[in-house]
Amino acid sequence: MVLLGKIALGFGATVVLAGAYTFREGLLRVDVDETRGETHHVHVWVPAAVVPMAMHFLPRDRMREAGERAGEFMPLVHAVAKELQKYPEAELVEVHDGLQYVRVRTHNGNLLIDAEEPGQTVHVSCPLATIDDVSRELQTFAPAS
Amino acid sequence: MTTRTRHLLPLIAFLAASFLYAPLGTQAQTSSTQSGTSTYGERWLHVRVISTNSRGETVRVNVPLELAEKVLPAIDHDRLHKGKVRIGCMDCDGVDVRTIFEAVRNSKDGEFVTVQSNDADVSVTKKDGQLLVHVHDKNKPKHSQVEVKVPMKVVEALLSGSKDELDLAAGLHALRGQGDVELVSVKDDDNTIRVWLDSKNMTTD
Repeated sequence: MVLLGKIALGFGATVVLAGAYTFREGLLRVDVDETRGETHHVHVWVPAAVVPMAMHFLPRDRMREAGERAGEFMPLVHAVAKELQKYPEAELVEVHDGLQYVRVRTHNGNLLIDAEEPGQTVHVSCPLATIDDVSRELQTFAPAS
Repeated sequence: MTTRTRHLLPLIAFLAASFLYAPLGTQAQTSSTQSGTSTYGERWLHVRVISTNSRGETVRVNVPLELAEKVLPAIDHDRLHKGKVRIGCMDCDGVDVRTIFEAVRNSKDGEFVTVQSNDADVSVTKKDGQLLVHVHDKNKPKHSQVEVKVPMKVVEALLSGSKDELDLAAGLHALRGQGDVELVSVKDDDNTIRVWLDSKNMTTD
């Protein structure tokens, strides 16, 4: 009985540790709901700490391709993400245009983008630290100017 | 393991779990105190556009000046390079804008330009260290009003670069030293536009 208790405690502690490590940077969340015409629902929830790690396992030629395409914007993305981390709670942009609505804000150190229009809603939430990490990683694959 | 230590195990496990999750909680608490008025010294640039047309468009943009100042040099596109924008007409039709500005800066407060016509009234005034531009467009049914208020130090910083460029980063830096000020105000039939500076991180209206 005592042995079982010890095993359970060890397992529990491991789960808590692994959970805390995986979710220490929060979640990368993408929710897309399309009800216009054909209905589509896309919901992606990924622990943010996994993203920079996963990038190391991507094929190098794919990363080079991404770097070539997006590399020139990465210094800008990196600068924005780095600076925005100083403002964990901020309303940045809010646009209402008839039935269309876009909101960009930071909350708890995450960048939140909400876009709504009749028949389609998109919600994206990404930790700023992850954006910073990814932009730095992609920047290394950008062709030297 | 003694009985005493065994009794402490749940407490140790609880403390370990609390310690692990502590940073998340602390972050949430810190964040909640930052809504509304920002921390001391932060300056925010706000842009608000409200349209009274049928679609009821509204645009609210809030940007920390420090962020804009740091991010601007990272943009290298078209005429914008290292926080400076290249403009071709600093010497417009033989009129040296920089020299005119120097003359205005060194002169006393007063109204320097006054144009009154059937279409519009325009005035450029220097008052209390600020350059004020007022345009009253008479062509529209509700007579649109444009008011621009720029601190002289900001204009000076904007013109601190080479002859044919505006140093936007320096302008933003100079703006950070200013108090709460309404920089641009436009009112016409359909739109109300305001650009202002304060220490709040959200638009309260």
